[in-house]
Amino acid sequence: MTSSDTVPGPDTPSGTASVPTSAKVEEYVFGGLVVALGVFTLVDATTITARGPLGSVGPRAFPYAVGALLVVTGVMAIVATLRGRLGPAEDAEDIDTSVRTDWATVAKLVAVLVAHLALIDLVGWPVAAMVLFFGAAWTLGAIWWKALVVAVVLALVVQVVFASGLGLSLPAGVFEGVPLLDG
Amino acid sequence: MGNLTALLEGFATAAQPEYLLYALLGVTLGTAVGVLPGIGPAMTVALLLPLTYSLEPTAALIIFAGIYYGGMYGGSTTSILLNTPGESSSIVTALEGNRMARAGRGAAALATAAIGSFVAGTIATILLTALAPTIADLAVTLGPADYVALMVVAFTTVAALLGASPVRGLASLGIGLFIGLVGTDTLTGQQRFTLGVPTMSDGIDVVVVAVGVFAVGEALYVAARMRHGPVEVVPVGGKWMTAEFWRRSWKPWLRGTLIGFPIGTVPAGGADVSTFLSYAAEKKLAKRPEEFGKGAIEGVAGPEAANNAAAAGVLVPLLTLGLPTTATAAVIVAAFQSYGIQPGPLLFTNNSAMVWALIASLYIGNVMLLVLNLPLVKIWVKVLQIPRPYLYAGILLFAALGTYAVNFVVDDLIVLMVIGVVGFFMRRHGYPVAPLVVGLILGPMAEEQVRRTLQISQGSLSALVTSPFAAVAYSILAVVLALAIVMRVRRRITRPVDAPQP
Repeated sequence: MTSSDTVPGPDTPSGTASVPTSAKVEEYVFGGLVVALGVFTLVDATTITARGPLGSVGPRAFPYAVGALLVVTGVMAIVATLRGRLGPAEDAEDIDTSVRTDWATVAKLVAVLVAHLALIDLVGWPVAAMVLFFGAAWTLGAIWWKALVVAVVLALVVQVVFASGLGLSLPAGVFEGVPLLDG
Repeated sequence: MGNLTALLEGFATAAQPEYLLYALLGVTLGTAVGVLPGIGPAMTVALLLPLTYSLEPTAALIIFAGIYYGGMYGGSTTSILLNTPGESSSIVTALEGNRMARAGRGAAALATAAIGSFVAGTIATILLTALAPTIADLAVTLGPADYVALMVVAFTTVAALLGASPVRGLASLGIGLFIGLVGTDTLTGQQRFTLGVPTMSDGIDVVVVAVGVFAVGEALYVAARMRHGPVEVVPVGGKWMTAEFWRRSWKPWLRGTLIGFPIGTVPAGGADVSTFLSYAAEKKLAKRPEEFGKGAIEGVAGPEAANNAAAAGVLVPLLTLGLPTTATAAVIVAAFQSYGIQPGPLLFTNNSAMVWALIASLYIGNVMLLVLNLPLVKIWVKVLQIPRPYLYAGILLFAALGTYAVNFVVDDLIVLMVIGVVGFFMRRHGYPVAPLVVGLILGPMAEEQVRRTLQISQGSLSALVTSPFAAVAYSILAVVLALAIVMRVRRRITRPVDAPQP
């Protein structure tokens, strides 16, 4: 270990300069969350009622081990990040590695998912599904009216297949009582 | 000879029109998800789990096996024709296959991949047929301590030996183990980590976790940095099969099979390792090594065969020991469990008819896949071109649907979203997701076996290592780990400035 990789300053020639600080901050936060989950596991494990024959291993032992694993690996991930060894981001076919993270799109997709799960009990699955598909496709760059047509058709087809074919019925909501759609 | 009779009976079952249709459905779906980026076999099997509860187990498992094999075939089409490879086990195929396609020899690349997959898949399925019952007979004698040893080996190899960062792999395993703990302890009936929420007392459903981490996590990850514009597919050109094609392909197919099958069988992480080894072997043995990197057909034929042979190899520990060594295998174990069947040594005695029908369907599925992937490759090229906004919107919709269909409660969708966001950040920071899924499914099994061992030994920890089988397993693991550490340290010495990967 040379001294240059213990403190990766912004001007070190070893390529560390290309790592944006935001990526490092994120890594620290995620590593911290792993540690936090481990601590929670260890603490909450003490509240599990442990009764059983003497000499047997109760319901607490495994949680302690898992909590310890999380704390140790979380701390080690933070240390690795400190030393400049960041986790390489995963590859995928549809990823453009040259662009910056588009947080707005991620936030919109999460919002669409929240809307979907909130709407199911209010207006039924078909409408909630239309909102989910239309919202997601539009957010990702589809032409709005095309996305809307596909969303409506897809949601209704799935609803009919479920109601008639699979013997599982999704809540019809606003379509209650409509033949084919209400199973 | 009893096994041959059983296999023939399996064929009699699997050849019934109804089961043939299920197999066709499975391999078609499998090829589609293999071709499409963003979804893989693990997620597809998880999504279909709630929808197949109304089917009998044999039918459902034939579909799942078709998806599993089909995903391997479809992946190669994508890596040959799309400029940007995905599915980790076919990255090597992209090296040469994509070059071949761009040089106007795409047809030959697709043909050697499909026929190689068929040859390897069939030979490996024959090996599976021959080996599995024998291993199952041996496995019956294993005690709980031996199972603990096998699971520790699986955990360690899946989490720590593969992937760029062992620490992050182990952290991912830990998250999976934690999710597996949530719910009611099977041995004492105590609630663990349910936060007082009643729906949590049944635990978090495997479907919700697998779909969350694969589908939602992947969709968010791609959305954050999506490649916009039309999908660029290399047109298929050149001759399909020439005399030279056969002459140069058949040996790599066989070598790939010989490399892939054993690697799939031992818990060494499934297909990836085998494709790299096969590629290296072909490069070394090639008469014209200078062609490698410019589109050498051997570099497609070998790894593709290895990939499929390994996929069949993974089924050996899965069916005989109940030990999943890849994410897809872990989800298939969950599928077995949802029907109240525990894969393992007793499977061949207790569910003999089902397991042989399943194995017979693998042979049939391979033939179907050859037809689906060679003459019908044009269809998959169309599938590959689905505009990405619709593809990922569809993935999200079916993820939400599959999750909701498990219990028809909105709570599951909240869990899905949380796990999806976790999966998103894991991908961003090099935390592999496969250990999470393997940990989730093997964790509760491992805990039960540890506690059973210690109950029998009355708390003496030495019982975990004194069984001869367990001792051998731990020793092999220790040797492999030591080797891995030596190799890592060496690599670090040759590259003294530890440049982080972007």
